[in-house]
Amino acid sequence: MNSSALQRLLPFFSLIALFVILSIASPYFLTATNLSAVVRQTAVINIMALGMTLIIVSGGIDLSVGAILAFSGTVGAMAMSSGQPLWVGILVGIGCGLAWGWINGVLTTWLKIPPFIVTLGTLGIARGLTLIISGGLPVVGLPKELAFLGEGRVFGLPFVLLVLLVCAAVTHVILHQTKLGRYTYAIGSNVHAAVYAGIPVSRYTIGVYAISGALCGLASMIETSRLMTGQPTAGQGYELQVIAAVVIGGGSLTGGEGSVIGTLIGAFIMGLLANGSDLLGINPYLQQAIIGAIIILAVALDEARKRRFSS
Amino acid sequence: MLLELSGIEKRFGGVRALRGGELHADAGQVHALIGENGAGKSTMMKIIAGMHRRDAGSMRWQGGEVDFRKPADAHDAGIAMVHQESLLAPHLTVAENVFLGRERVSGPLLDQARMLATARRLIEEHRFPLQADWRVERLSPAQKQLVEIVRALHGESRLIIFDEPTSSLSESETVEVFRLVKQLRASGVAILYITHRLAELDEIADKVTVLRDGETVHSADFADLTTDQIVHHMVGREVEHIYEREPLEPGAEVLSVDLPGAKFTIRAGEILGIGGLMGAGRTELCQTLFGVTPATEGEIRVDGRPVVVRSPKEAVQAGIALITEDRQRTGLALPLPLRENVTLANLTGVTRRGFLNNREEMRVASDSIERLRIRTDGTEQAAGKLSGGNQQKIVIAKWLYANPRVMLFDEPTRGIDVNAKREVFSLMEEMAREGKAILMVSSELPELLQVADRILVMREGSVVAELPRSTTQEEIMHHAAVG
Repeated sequence: MNSSALQRLLPFFSLIALFVILSIASPYFLTATNLSAVVRQTAVINIMALGMTLIIVSGGIDLSVGAILAFSGTVGAMAMSSGQPLWVGILVGIGCGLAWGWINGVLTTWLKIPPFIVTLGTLGIARGLTLIISGGLPVVGLPKELAFLGEGRVFGLPFVLLVLLVCAAVTHVILHQTKLGRYTYAIGSNVHAAVYAGIPVSRYTIGVYAISGALCGLASMIETSRLMTGQPTAGQGYELQVIAAVVIGGGSLTGGEGSVIGTLIGAFIMGLLANGSDLLGINPYLQQAIIGAIIILAVALDEARKRRFSS
Repeated sequence: MLLELSGIEKRFGGVRALRGGELHADAGQVHALIGENGAGKSTMMKIIAGMHRRDAGSMRWQGGEVDFRKPADAHDAGIAMVHQESLLAPHLTVAENVFLGRERVSGPLLDQARMLATARRLIEEHRFPLQADWRVERLSPAQKQLVEIVRALHGESRLIIFDEPTSSLSESETVEVFRLVKQLRASGVAILYITHRLAELDEIADKVTVLRDGETVHSADFADLTTDQIVHHMVGREVEHIYEREPLEPGAEVLSVDLPGAKFTIRAGEILGIGGLMGAGRTELCQTLFGVTPATEGEIRVDGRPVVVRSPKEAVQAGIALITEDRQRTGLALPLPLRENVTLANLTGVTRRGFLNNREEMRVASDSIERLRIRTDGTEQAAGKLSGGNQQKIVIAKWLYANPRVMLFDEPTRGIDVNAKREVFSLMEEMAREGKAILMVSSELPELLQVADRILVMREGSVVAELPRSTTQEEIMHHAAVG
């Protein structure tokens, strides 16, 4: 195996290493309860990161994902607490996410504003609207069945794990086996080449942001399920964790690079770090510093690999 | 008549790129488009390919009036273009780029196996040095050009535009491109072929249209034209040679190079030419001298003092300047104005008390425009908006302002017109007279013969011959290709 393949697999090896280290360091780590907890805790970020993978591969970014989470979760919860059946509430949540994603996509392509700026704006707008709609109060009175989404088990495994795996599989197929995925890579790699090749760049860009929004909507339902309330202040700071997951997994903010598997690994690495810190009693503030350092390390190693590769 | 353009006009900002473009192209014909840089050839082709929209005039395709609003429209109409600077997605593979925008699907999924197989077949058919599963970012400019060609071939187009397709190619690859073009012609495709290499016309041209200052000034069958006549139409006067020069009496040694595979010196007032085929190591030599890929052994001396060049920064400090072969990528900051590009290698010169002095910078920029006769709207025009020849002059101005002792020119006249070439050579001679050492890598053999004092020929990474001014193109090619 040559050194470039080795470096590409670095996130994967790091994950394994972390797994081994934590198994040794704490007797509680390798238990079903603990591992299930890790899966449940990372599920929301993980699903959001799948959508972010598409966006980052296309060369864009979305800072509003946390706000979309809050909005979708709150409105979905309001639908359910006002008597709508569970499945309607979930669809409403996904629909809200889809709508915000679509808005992000449209604003950035039609107005030709960089996505960083657009989503910075929609972040504020979405959070503001969430607080207005909810009056600043959590939404209660949700149907008991909702809890299954976030806390239920199926064949002994957390239900969210199945949801995550299905979403990951679908996103993987989209990215690597469909025109949408191919064009997402092309747009992120060289948007001029994409335009010249006749690809309707605006249409696909909007699609990518919309899909990501829908995934955030789904994630918001899981978050709401875990809290059993519609929390208008949910998702604070999630956008940074979501972007970190994609970047640690090999995504490049300049576009054209990234993968579903890499993102999953990135999200789990962060999840294990958080879990390990809890088990070992490490200061939670230190966790943030560690994650920041890892992001820099991951990107630096990736850049070094690319430089050696392309000479 | 397959394609008819008349009265085409196009402006970019204040510059009128086209003001009377005429072209009549037919199926099964190779129609060469000739003109100085800035004459409007690329603009006209981009209008045909749907990349720009014309401001005025008429374009008829297959008998009907058309107005392409985007490249996809031109594609759908059966028009494809092979660009001078390749337009590919670097993170995607060769096969993926060949099929970009025209993917084959089976159901909702991409039929990747079939696309890969088709790309492989096309590459093999033409014996291109490519693998279909290589990522494009790994390819050399020549290989990227070939990918563009494969892409255009695959599109089953009725008209293909080639914009300087052979500029990055080796001799054998060029021969293959000619064969392709003739094959396409035989199958009824209309070919529009932009080139600065008039010698290529002998090989393939049926018709020639000459543009000058945005206007079509002449159009005729190639058989009815001589090269001198073509050049006359291009520049408006008889041109016999591109450049004439009396070599100076060389002075003291300015540059002494002792590297594996390259041992030579350049004295004050000398212009040393470097000839050789693509891949011979000429650009690599320049990059080593300039610290881009530093030497691991050997010695470089400037004005007798040994210098260590481990980075471009150290090269500049040692008094070495490099005018690269790819000005758009490594020579200029395209979105920045001319003024900021010109001072970029020597900001110290326009810094007063820690701040950039705008007035001084304006002066330097205006002086450069005047001294080098740069055709531009002014000091504030973005470098990216200027034509190739003028862009090259900005690069030269930038290095002149850094006052080097050694100037390395890598393909200084690539993609620029005859007039600009003469101006570049005149500048090179002026710098030689000022006592600088000038090194000129060029694939244009006539230019090497007319400009250089001596010519080194490189082959497979080493200097294999040193030839006097009086040598011939055949002799240079012999050393470059055979030995």
